[in-house]
Amino acid sequence: MNKNIKYGLSFNIISFVVFLLLVFSITVGIAGYMQFTQSLATEYNDSAFRTAETAATLINADRIDEYLENGGEDNEYKLSLSRLDTLCEKQNVSVIYTIIPDADYSHYTSIFNSVNANTGYDRWNIGYVRETTNDEYKKIYKEMYENGLERGTVIRDKNLNGGLPHITSLIPLKGSDGMVKAILCVQRPMEQLLIGRRGYLKHVSLIMIIIAILASLIAGFGIRKYFISPVKKISEEAERFAAENRIADKNVLKNLSKLNEMRALASSVEKMELDTVSYIENITSITADKERMGTELNIASQIQEGSIPTIFPPYPDRKEFDIYASMTPAKEVGGDFYDFFLIDDDHLGLVMADVSGKGVPAALFMMVTKILVSEIAKTGISTDEILSTVNNRICAHNKAGMFVTVWLGILEISTGILRASNAGHEYPAIKRANGKFELFKDKHGFVVGGMDDIKYNEYEIKLSKGDTIFLYTDGVTEATNANNELFGNDRLVSALNIKSEFSTAELLECVKSEIDKFVGKAPQFDDITMMAVRYFGGK
Amino acid sequence: MEILKNKTGSNLVIYLSGRLDTVSAPQLEEELKASIGDVTELILDISNLEYMSSAGLRILLSAQKTMNAKGKMIVKNVNDTIMEIFEVTGFIDILTIEN
Repeated sequence: MNKNIKYGLSFNIISFVVFLLLVFSITVGIAGYMQFTQSLATEYNDSAFRTAETAATLINADRIDEYLENGGEDNEYKLSLSRLDTLCEKQNVSVIYTIIPDADYSHYTSIFNSVNANTGYDRWNIGYVRETTNDEYKKIYKEMYENGLERGTVIRDKNLNGGLPHITSLIPLKGSDGMVKAILCVQRPMEQLLIGRRGYLKHVSLIMIIIAILASLIAGFGIRKYFISPVKKISEEAERFAAENRIADKNVLKNLSKLNEMRALASSVEKMELDTVSYIENITSITADKERMGTELNIASQIQEGSIPTIFPPYPDRKEFDIYASMTPAKEVGGDFYDFFLIDDDHLGLVMADVSGKGVPAALFMMVTKILVSEIAKTGISTDEILSTVNNRICAHNKAGMFVTVWLGILEISTGILRASNAGHEYPAIKRANGKFELFKDKHGFVVGGMDDIKYNEYEIKLSKGDTIFLYTDGVTEATNANNELFGNDRLVSALNIKSEFSTAELLECVKSEIDKFVGKAPQFDDITMMAVRYFGGK
Repeated sequence: MEILKNKTGSNLVIYLSGRLDTVSAPQLEEELKASIGDVTELILDISNLEYMSSAGLRILLSAQKTMNAKGKMIVKNVNDTIMEIFEVTGFIDILTIEN
């Protein structure tokens, strides 16, 4: 990534600088070239005009018509021509010639014509008629004859038909009456002009190339020092940070550059690092907390699960009865519980309870209740007395205002007599050996933990051989489907009576599957806890 | 659950409708805590209440205890579903129910 930035920025900026310089050079070059050409031409022309003016003094303009008439057979003409020849050689001009254009300037007649030997041109004899070379000449002729133009210049450097580039300076030859009698032209080669111009171009180009190279080097150096190097450092720091996720030991971003923009970039990166680090710390601590809470909930759940008997059959050597129970918590830990314990060899304690509320508070409350019930039950007092005692014990320390519904029964194993009390709990369902399950509407007392000094009633049921009692919490009857319908007592009784032959484990499984079918995909809100006890008769 | 209040002097009538369960119980608890201060007669009209869980019972119990100390609480228009819950849980014995 670094290399690309370096290459990209340097290359682009230097290319741009070079391009700008090139445009600048060409513009300056063209302007200079034009200016140079013009001043060189002016200088060149001036000297040609001086030659022309000198030549004009050698010619007697008043007699030109006469010269033409006698075809140059005139001593004065010959003298003038010979002097013009000399001037031509001395001044090193190509041609000095005098012409008379015709009325429409389309042709002209040669009068004097001196040709420099080094040009290889042939001399035009007097009276030689020629077509005017081009409109430029024609215009100058016309201006001189009609509008008193004193000087004219024609530069021919293109459309030469194989000839060499040349510059021609023209002046009118006036007679003593002030009238224009002829036009005197001095033609010089443009070679030197071109050589000078070429030299100028060469110099300008060379200087511009040197300037371009120097400017590129300076730009490159500047860019590297002021842009690439800080950007590279920032980029390296960002990469380091991405890899290590911690603040650098040495602050490489401080005093990185004098440029405001670079400083702003560096401080943004620095701030981002600090923010990221604090964010990571924050997230780490939140995650740690969450994990810890998750672990603790998990452990709480295990403790709760471990506190209720889950090994079935619990008393493999007791053939008088069969117990099966199950609990499916809605959250990690719930407030439901079942319990059973042998008070003595002939008395089996059975508990089904449901703590108000859910989660950890309910689980804590449940643990207290469970221990109190089983411990107090083991003192051998009646079920109503047990519940009253538990109620008073809980009320004494019930700051959270929680309560628990409890069904408590004690089965006398030898006789099948079940003595029970109900503290606000669901009705048990009882099936006689050859009958069907029915809800047993027992007398209810108030919930445990709700108020001090509550009195409970104890009732008695005689279980015969093959009778079954089913206990549950409101998680069963209040299981809710997607239409907000409750499972209810009727569905429960029907579910219990689906099979006529069953083990206690099969019975619970059957009810659970009916609940699951009813609830469908709706979430489980409450713990689902069930217990079934079948009596097989005393010894 | 929806809670409507009508307070006249020290008399507060609260109309509850919908489901009073674990999710909505804290809402009612907050509402009672905020408005029960100088009330001597609290009437809970629950004719439109569809369901009450043990979390709801806990709120009722705590309101009953609070009102026992300074006046009275009456639960009005109890439908069959809720009455059955009151019967099963024994709340019928500690609440003053008027239909």
